[in-house]
Amino acid sequence: MVRRSLVSVVDDDESVRESLPDLLRELGFAAHAFSSAEEFLTSDYVAQTNCLILDIAMPGMTGHDLQRELKLRRQEIPIVFITAHRDETVRPRVLEQGAVECLFKPFSERALVEALNAALRVS
Amino acid sequence: MADFSHEISVDDAIGAATSTQSPSAQALSRVEPPQNESGLFSGESVLNILKLIFAGAPLPEVLTIIARLVEAQGKGMYCTIWLLDREGKYVRCATAPSLPGFIAHWDRTPVGPDGACCGTAVYRREPVYVTDIRSDPLWDSYRHLVEPYGVRAVWARPLFSSEGKALGTFAILYREVGSPSATDLQLIENASHIVGIAIERHINEEELRRSEAFLAEAQRLSLTGSFSWRLDTDEITFSEELYRIFEFDYDAPVTLEQIVGRVHPEDIPLLSEKMDLARRNINDHDYAIRLRMPDGRVKYLRTKSYGIRDRDGRLEHVGAIQDATEHRLSEEALAKVSSELAHVARVTSLGALAASIAHEVSQPLSGIITNACTGLRMLAADPPNVDGARETVRRTIRDGNRASEVITRLRALFSKKEATIESVDLNEATREVIALSLSELQRNRVILRTELASDLPVVKGDRVQLQQVVLNLLRNASDAMSAVNDRPRHMVITTEREEGDRVRLTVQDAGVGLDPQAMDRLFEAFYTTKNDGMGMGLSISRSIIERHHGRLWAAPNDGPGATFSFSIPCAPASVTSAGRRPIGKDAKPIMRNP
Repeated sequence: MVRRSLVSVVDDDESVRESLPDLLRELGFAAHAFSSAEEFLTSDYVAQTNCLILDIAMPGMTGHDLQRELKLRRQEIPIVFITAHRDETVRPRVLEQGAVECLFKPFSERALVEALNAALRVS
Repeated sequence: MADFSHEISVDDAIGAATSTQSPSAQALSRVEPPQNESGLFSGESVLNILKLIFAGAPLPEVLTIIARLVEAQGKGMYCTIWLLDREGKYVRCATAPSLPGFIAHWDRTPVGPDGACCGTAVYRREPVYVTDIRSDPLWDSYRHLVEPYGVRAVWARPLFSSEGKALGTFAILYREVGSPSATDLQLIENASHIVGIAIERHINEEELRRSEAFLAEAQRLSLTGSFSWRLDTDEITFSEELYRIFEFDYDAPVTLEQIVGRVHPEDIPLLSEKMDLARRNINDHDYAIRLRMPDGRVKYLRTKSYGIRDRDGRLEHVGAIQDATEHRLSEEALAKVSSELAHVARVTSLGALAASIAHEVSQPLSGIITNACTGLRMLAADPPNVDGARETVRRTIRDGNRASEVITRLRALFSKKEATIESVDLNEATREVIALSLSELQRNRVILRTELASDLPVVKGDRVQLQQVVLNLLRNASDAMSAVNDRPRHMVITTEREEGDRVRLTVQDAGVGLDPQAMDRLFEAFYTTKNDGMGMGLSISRSIIERHHGRLWAAPNDGPGATFSFSIPCAPASVTSAGRRPIGKDAKPIMRNP
């Protein structure tokens, strides 16, 4: 059996950490949630992660910081950013910096699936 | 010191009865030596000297004429007149017509116990008669200065002003040893009197000239001019600086027409109003008015004036006008910057607020949708994962509650928990708002009239909230007139008692009026016709008035402009607290018009 793609979720919001992995699993992915960028970086999942769903605004290390750190470590994980700040200027900016997609919360299941498909095609 | 610009006046004062010689020679020939028995000045001579003095003849000239007249009284007698300096430390000889070269030695004789005769007389404040200068120790240091002229006796008498201030000394130098006779004493006395008048008059004129010069300088420095306006003749006097401010020709007298021609056309109604009040002797004006120069420049003037009655009971309006253009321009620049800043701050804080609301609500919404999606999938599976679905539904409810809490917090933030109910005198509350807004109204050139009912009952309500409404209506009215230039920007604020124990406040403007198409939207939140408005004012005002169980409405005027009114009951059962008011419930039908 083919190993299911691992999608890691990094978000300081607990309800996202609870709900999103469940949905991801229902969609056929393996999923793991982290409450901070630091927690993710120090875990064993970095190398195994096929796609990262990353909140932009987090206390401590932000989503952007994590993206930069991964680039420095040459860990080219496709990233789907999620954010509750509906600022239209954010999306083009993060796409330019290499993110696969940027979803504004709340996002639909369909938008999520499309973003994940795009991310996993890249990898 | 000598001022020869007055020579013409001397001539005039003497009269045209004689031939034309040099003024002084002429004066002398006409101021006849006394012929009368007492050896004193004739009445005519005295009169002529007085004429000279009051015509403003230069002091040295007048003193010389008097000295010559005195010398004509007897042989072997030289007359000298001495002036005290400003500090009162020295006397100097101002005239000694028959002693050539004498004055040069006597320009700084100290006032003191041994200042020859002339300094000593001022020092002692009494006459000093030296019968023989050869033996008198007073002359020890000065003897050599007078002996060449053959002088033996000196009789000096100090001169005083009408207030007793020392002015100088009158002194007769005699070729023979001796003391003055009774006739001499009388002569000295009479001459001193006239010399005193001449000197005092001269000093007063100097003082006047100095203070006028000071005043002119002060006016120039402070860009302030003064004026007077005789109401019966419309005769107007401008100070030099005011001529400069109005840029009028100095040579021509100022007329009302000229002034009206200079005042900015938009301010003519204001000027007419102020002039009308002045004519009716309603006084103490303090207002800003603009001038428009022929080349289009605008000047901003600040005027303070009041009425007085002169001795004949005639009404005169006097005042000061300051050119506040520079001040005004910088103030305007500042006001513009700060209002822009306030607007930016409002918009920014609203933007920030919207973003924070969005963020707060988006987080739980995101959870709700994700959980719902997951739940659906779990239920659609074969077999359905009911336990998993139950968990997602539980989380959906939790996140729904979380979103609801956000809304509750927001509402608490935007409304006062408790309205403060107190007795409010709407007139007084309105006056406070007007006082706070006066400078803004003045800047917008609004002519405000208030008609506050004297029998207005107090209302129960939240004073600050009601003042917010009044302020908002007043600002709207003022803003509505900001582009009005073809008519006075009249605003009328009225309070009155209404039937059914209610009070009504009305703000009427002469502004752009109401768009009939937009009447329905007038009180909607975020509806605005202003470039810099948020469109919240009337919507908030209406909700405040409705909380007071009243109503707020707008109506177009018969003429230009609009009238906004609110009416509230004097004593409502209670004022609904905004924070606890159930939405949708208890909202009465809104009346647009009375």
